[in-house]
Amino acid sequence: MDLTRRRLLGAAGALALPTFLGGCGGFSTSSGDGDAAGGDSGTLTVTTWGTDSELAGLRAAVARFEESSGARVALDVVPYEQMFSNVDAQIQAGNPPDVFRVPYYTFGSYAGRGQLLDLSPYLEDGFADRFTPQAWAAVQSDGAPYGVPHHTDTSAILVNTELLGAAGITELPASPEEAWTWDQLAEVATTLRGSLPAEQYPFAVNWQGNGVTRWLSWLFQADGRFLTEDLSGPAIDSAAAREAVAFTQSFFTQGWVPPNSSVQSATYSSDSWYAQTVAMVWGGAFLVPDAEATLDFEWTATYAPRKVRGGSDFGGNALVATAGTPRAELAAAFLASVTEEESMREFCAGASLLPTRTDLVEQGIEFAVRPELSPVFVGQAGVVLPEDSGQVASPDMASIITVLQDALEGAFVGGQDVETTITAMSDGIAAAVR
Amino acid sequence: MTQPVAPQLTAVGDRPAGPPDASLRPRRARAGRRGESLAAYGFLAPNLVLLVLFVAVPLLWALWISLQATDGFGTGVFVGADNYVRLAEDGRFWRAVVNTTLYTALVTPLAMGLGLGAAVLLDGALPARGLFRSVLILPMAVSGVATALIGVLVFDENSGVLDGLLRAVGLPDVPWQSGGPAAFASVVLVTLWWRVGFNMLVYLAALQGVGAHLYEAATLDGANAWQRFRHITVPMVGPASFFLMIMNVIYSFQVFDVVFVMTGGGPQDATSVLVTYAYENGFVTRDQGYAAAIGVVLLLLTLAVTAVHWRTSRTRDVTE
Repeated sequence: MDLTRRRLLGAAGALALPTFLGGCGGFSTSSGDGDAAGGDSGTLTVTTWGTDSELAGLRAAVARFEESSGARVALDVVPYEQMFSNVDAQIQAGNPPDVFRVPYYTFGSYAGRGQLLDLSPYLEDGFADRFTPQAWAAVQSDGAPYGVPHHTDTSAILVNTELLGAAGITELPASPEEAWTWDQLAEVATTLRGSLPAEQYPFAVNWQGNGVTRWLSWLFQADGRFLTEDLSGPAIDSAAAREAVAFTQSFFTQGWVPPNSSVQSATYSSDSWYAQTVAMVWGGAFLVPDAEATLDFEWTATYAPRKVRGGSDFGGNALVATAGTPRAELAAAFLASVTEEESMREFCAGASLLPTRTDLVEQGIEFAVRPELSPVFVGQAGVVLPEDSGQVASPDMASIITVLQDALEGAFVGGQDVETTITAMSDGIAAAVR
Repeated sequence: MTQPVAPQLTAVGDRPAGPPDASLRPRRARAGRRGESLAAYGFLAPNLVLLVLFVAVPLLWALWISLQATDGFGTGVFVGADNYVRLAEDGRFWRAVVNTTLYTALVTPLAMGLGLGAAVLLDGALPARGLFRSVLILPMAVSGVATALIGVLVFDENSGVLDGLLRAVGLPDVPWQSGGPAAFASVVLVTLWWRVGFNMLVYLAALQGVGAHLYEAATLDGANAWQRFRHITVPMVGPASFFLMIMNVIYSFQVFDVVFVMTGGGPQDATSVLVTYAYENGFVTRDQGYAAAIGVVLLLLTLAVTAVHWRTSRTRDVTE
């Protein structure tokens, strides 16, 4: 038989057809944890991202729920960068997941636009009491709960003890009450600046990108606010805010932080600490496992500074249910189950994150890695007040984040003075919440 | 197919000369031509359908969204040309336009020039020519994000490879992230690394079509290497240049991943380009109508540049 071009093309087409049809059938963007379609009425679809240890904790919680309720849960894991464009597209297409994971500073943009399920009719009385006040405040929108605070994280100071020892600093604060004041931090920074060579810096702060909410910690430490109590207008035109801007701006003018660690930088501050470009870095507990595994210098953690009071960021993620879900009761039951004591303890200890349950905060939890650092992070998280976390739950937080980024970038690297920065922030926040 | 008459130089597409059969030919010819047209459209149909579905429909939809104020959830509010008026008054938008234009003006000629230079050098007999060509083309196979991540490692002003090398030879550090012009330069350099291979590939193909006899004739007339390059090579690869100019301009106007990963638009909007600004508005602050308006402006700019180039290019259809 002659191999003509026609025969060759025909044979290739015949061979390719089943492959093509097979590709059409199994359309899935998940890592294959069960089908993500959830067409079956008893299957709850949960979309999330996570590190390996976070996912291990979530899967254990899911297994516990499936056993106790008899329902099926389909866990759809996506990379963090795609998470919200995925969820948004699913919501717009009318087939959203029943439950998804969301950072507290993004929570407001879904809750404030009617995309989330109001959990009040589905939760038992006194459900709010299991959580700390600042955690419960972070999932409120218009006075009703639209999700559950699954865990939190906050920024303590990770310290390269070798570099600090070389500068003569051997005593670190041992409790939140003994945390460095702003003046004491300035002294530490000046000492470090004197002893470190020009290409190393005393510290870096983790306020890059969406982390600009960590700048607000300095505002809270000066006892300031950025939104009014009803979240309807700016409250940043204050002496406290001016002090916060002036102090953080001085980090750049004094050479205490690397010049490329400003809020619009594309590189994370933790990377500069890993590379020993800086002696100290503000960072969350989630960094602990990686740091322990990869670093070859001695390090520890200590408390973030205080001024009028301590102030810290209420980081971490909530779990929320979408407004249109046909399985509202099941979703609410799942959210309640995942925040039971055992599930939360296992998740937080394994992933090095902080609990939001009052009983776990009081008992303390032990991280699987560097357990002696758990009290530092738990103690630091205890410094967050409900009025601090409640402001970040504003529906316009995403626009406010952009305002803060622009204004602070100008102050930090653009030589913008304090008054202009405050005005820019105030006007920007007013426009964002209009 | 041979003919009994001597072959004449006719333009492509003419039917071979022969006595026409007046009675039968016209009807069969017309039916034949209609059948041919149908067959042609039949073959084009799948491609046309895909083009309409995935290019024309989203384009018109984006235009429609740009006339609304919407956050993507639920239906938007029709606001007419409001978004465009806001755009005209937005300083950050004009900064993005300036940055994008500057980026295009830098990357396009540099990429084409370096590509042509590399193609000419690697067209002659050179040991390991295949290896050199492969090495230059390889970056094309890497995605934009991966390229940008490599760029981050190289250009990090604290622990990056480049500043380390500069320090090792005693030169001052360059602030690749915290200095506006330096950040811009770093993005341009990474783009060139990525794109020169593509330009070189197209020019290499075009160079194969330049007759050796032209160079011989020029040499005999006393032209030196530079003159041969300027007066023979450059005009003869005119069609390739035209194609590459348009491709490079379109790509440069649409640049996103390299800028987003390396500098995020900073410092202070020094590297903010149209698509990163549109992304910020569309997916961070969720002002999707405004972002769509930026997209439409981008389309119009690209069309305008292409139209101007189409009109002014004199060497786009050069053949021997």
